[in-house]
Amino acid sequence: MEIELVLSALKVIGYGLGAIGPGVGIGLACYGCCVGTARQPEVQGRLFTNFIIGAALAEALALIGFVLAFIL
Amino acid sequence: MDALEQLSHHAQELQESFNSTIVIGSSTFGMTQYVLWMVICWIITCVVVLTVARKLTLVPTNKFVNTVEYGYQFVRNDMGEGIIGHGFKKHVPFLATLFFFILVSNFVGLIPGCKTPTGTISVTWALATLSFVYFNWCGIKAHGGLGYIKSIAPSGLPAPMVPVIWFFELISLILRWLTLAVRLYGNMFAGHMVLGIFALATGIFLTTGIEAMSPTAGISVAWFALLLVMYALETLVAFLQAYVFTVLTAVYISLATSAH
Repeated sequence: MEIELVLSALKVIGYGLGAIGPGVGIGLACYGCCVGTARQPEVQGRLFTNFIIGAALAEALALIGFVLAFIL
Repeated sequence: MDALEQLSHHAQELQESFNSTIVIGSSTFGMTQYVLWMVICWIITCVVVLTVARKLTLVPTNKFVNTVEYGYQFVRNDMGEGIIGHGFKKHVPFLATLFFFILVSNFVGLIPGCKTPTGTISVTWALATLSFVYFNWCGIKAHGGLGYIKSIAPSGLPAPMVPVIWFFELISLILRWLTLAVRLYGNMFAGHMVLGIFALATGIFLTTGIEAMSPTAGISVAWFALLLVMYALETLVAFLQAYVFTVLTAVYISLATSAH
């Protein structure tokens, strides 16, 4: 019981640690998208597409952590 | 029993209520509650879209028709034309189907008492598999089988780097499949879990507070306010996840079909 509790707590902590990087990454991507759009509103469409691709790539890491927390 | 103890006890029951249980038929041939709601969402989507398609006029006067047409236009212009660009028209039916189905599924789950079909991994896997097969098929049609395999690695790389980059790009290609499924599932499941916990906390703090005649019953007001805020957030997330799923499918189609 005790060990199981510790293990499940460790899984959640691991997921939390894994979510830090993607959080920073998506924040940076969003910052870049906003700043770029403010400077040059006419390229908003292309910037937004790249932002979505970048956010999806960064988010993949957090999602892998999410899956691992479930299956381990 | 203490309110917090009761909460953790009920939270486990809540978590078990999210597991798939068979509601129609047996385990060999039957439906879990999620599949049942998926069929219901499918019927709702079909009824809405088909009734609108029969009432189409050149100048829309019906408000309902206008709303759905706006949704279609959103998919066509923002996702199709904006992201895929040239030759987007043949992809619009697939994208619009995905968008409307996921949107209806996500919003149905917000009605108390209803289950969201996208809150289970099996439904989102199926949707992600559809999308994965579709964009790979588009890529193979655009480049030919061998050409598509080559086009996974971006062109213009120095020759010794090509196999390494190709391998990494292949992993990222397969990860798209996983992330499409897990993103939708994770957002929906976690959102409904949070809503459930806050609703439970509201009830438990209220009843234990009244039983003990203590002013802690007032805390349930704060829980209820939080519940309302989270509900508003979940409404946003429901739309956003349908949008993100469709946009990512469009992006992957454009990546697969474009000449590098």
